[in-house]
Amino acid sequence: MQIVIQNLSYVYSPKTPFEKVALDNVSFTVNEGDTLGIVGATGSGKSTLSRHLNALIRIQSGKILLGDIDLSQKKPDLKEVRKKVGMLFQFPEYQLFADTVRKDVEFGPKNFGMNEAEAAKSAAEAMRLVGLDMGEIGEKSPFELSGGQMRRVAIAGVIASRPEVLVLDEPTAGLDPAGKREILELVTALKSSFVKTVVIISHNMDEIAEYCNRVVVLDEGKLIADTTPAILFNDSDIIDNTELDYPHTIKIKRMLAARGFVIDTPALTVKELAAGVARRLK
Amino acid sequence: MKDMTLGQYYPTDSFTHRMDPRAKLVLVIAFIVMVFLAESFLSYFAVIVCVVSAALVSRIPLSKMLKSIKAIIMLLIFTGILNLLFYNGETVLWSWWRIKISVEGIIFSIKMVLRLVLLVMGTTLLTYTTTPTSLTDGMESLLTPLKYIKVPVHDIAVIMSIALRFIPILSEEVDKIMMAQKARGASFDTGGLLSRAKALLPILIPLFVSAFRRADELALALDARCYNATPNRTRYKVMKFGLRDLAGAIGMAAFIVLVVALNNNFWGAYETVQSVWWLF
Repeated sequence: MQIVIQNLSYVYSPKTPFEKVALDNVSFTVNEGDTLGIVGATGSGKSTLSRHLNALIRIQSGKILLGDIDLSQKKPDLKEVRKKVGMLFQFPEYQLFADTVRKDVEFGPKNFGMNEAEAAKSAAEAMRLVGLDMGEIGEKSPFELSGGQMRRVAIAGVIASRPEVLVLDEPTAGLDPAGKREILELVTALKSSFVKTVVIISHNMDEIAEYCNRVVVLDEGKLIADTTPAILFNDSDIIDNTELDYPHTIKIKRMLAARGFVIDTPALTVKELAAGVARRLK
Repeated sequence: MKDMTLGQYYPTDSFTHRMDPRAKLVLVIAFIVMVFLAESFLSYFAVIVCVVSAALVSRIPLSKMLKSIKAIIMLLIFTGILNLLFYNGETVLWSWWRIKISVEGIIFSIKMVLRLVLLVMGTTLLTYTTTPTSLTDGMESLLTPLKYIKVPVHDIAVIMSIALRFIPILSEEVDKIMMAQKARGASFDTGGLLSRAKALLPILIPLFVSAFRRADELALALDARCYNATPNRTRYKVMKFGLRDLAGAIGMAAFIVLVVALNNNFWGAYETVQSVWWLF
């Protein structure tokens, strides 16, 4: 499923002293199979943009096409839209509510019209995908779990409704480095399941560089770049003009280059960087 | 949750915004007394003039003022109709069983509704023009005399300001949780009363969990900074009763006199005026 965004603009509290332009004429396309990163400083409109993708925010002006569903029409089929586009919010563990993990994970599928058996099957599969076992912790209260487990259960709760597109808002916020890596590996692994397209909102450039094949940059509501991480971080000065930072690998590559040690890889991951250095040393 | 107008600060710069919160509190109390003093329609008109001029001085747009009424619209309709139907008036226009509509009843219910509208408008002006922090500071200062009978005024003020401070945070939290559950296919506006009430659980439980978590964290933060409500704390913003407040007080006093005078037909001053009119 392809997502087409055309001339999208959004203003919070128009015509009041609180008025704030969040999105200003944003257009881009997300292709099926993409892992798209949306980056930008705080308040650049990333979250507003992402909430448009499953109609949590009504479109003020512009157009969004989700496959063949037009979100700008008067009454889009919200259930259909939200089933197709799963959304994981920041700190998703804070939205757990049910008395058992099983009920919480089955909440989504049941809302989207699956019957008991289907919901149970789908929930069990979702738990397996996030690396947890329904048989083991299904009857526990979600509030008894550890922080990392809670986040996994929350992710399972989102993917249990089998979305085609998964939108993640700062999925690694508040996790330790190992936890961050685990979650991102998990997201990458999900792409071999029913989830075809992933949109990651982040301001951690290391993650974007390593996991995304495409990246769009927002600055004060405007789309200032729609490119690949390799081009964004290596062959452009877009990052210099925003409050964003370069990935650590790129920083090391540049420091080396400044001392005459030029390597010829995009250096988007630690492995790539190390390989580049090794090649140069040979 | 977007419509929480009652008690929301409206940020602009105006005469009223710059007034001493204590003065504003006292003036609001005076205003409430004034509303209850008003009897005749003419005196109600004076109160309306008072509210409108206060709103103009505070530079609060009319739409905002009307929005504060929206919150109590059901109450208004209810009181209006009840008074209309059950007022024990003399000039009965229509009656059935224990219900009777009288001229006095109509007048009384109009006055009743008008009184509520004016009360809400006047008092929301206070919260529109005063930040919660200065409001609690003002209250604390006004309640200082109670310290002598061992009432923990400062602690009460702190509790109040924390509670007020948390209203926007929690309402934002509700928005977030609602969005997250909507994204999981929950809907909050379909089905009967029972299913709607049940649909609130996925919001309420995470909300309470997070409220307790925040309270815990706040308590730790207060502790970590050795908070213990020492008696002689100084303030960042010192409140000062100024010329502005005096002007406000004089204005309010003038309106109260006007209202009382209108209630009593100027104590027969009309006749006096008429009898001396030929002099001019």
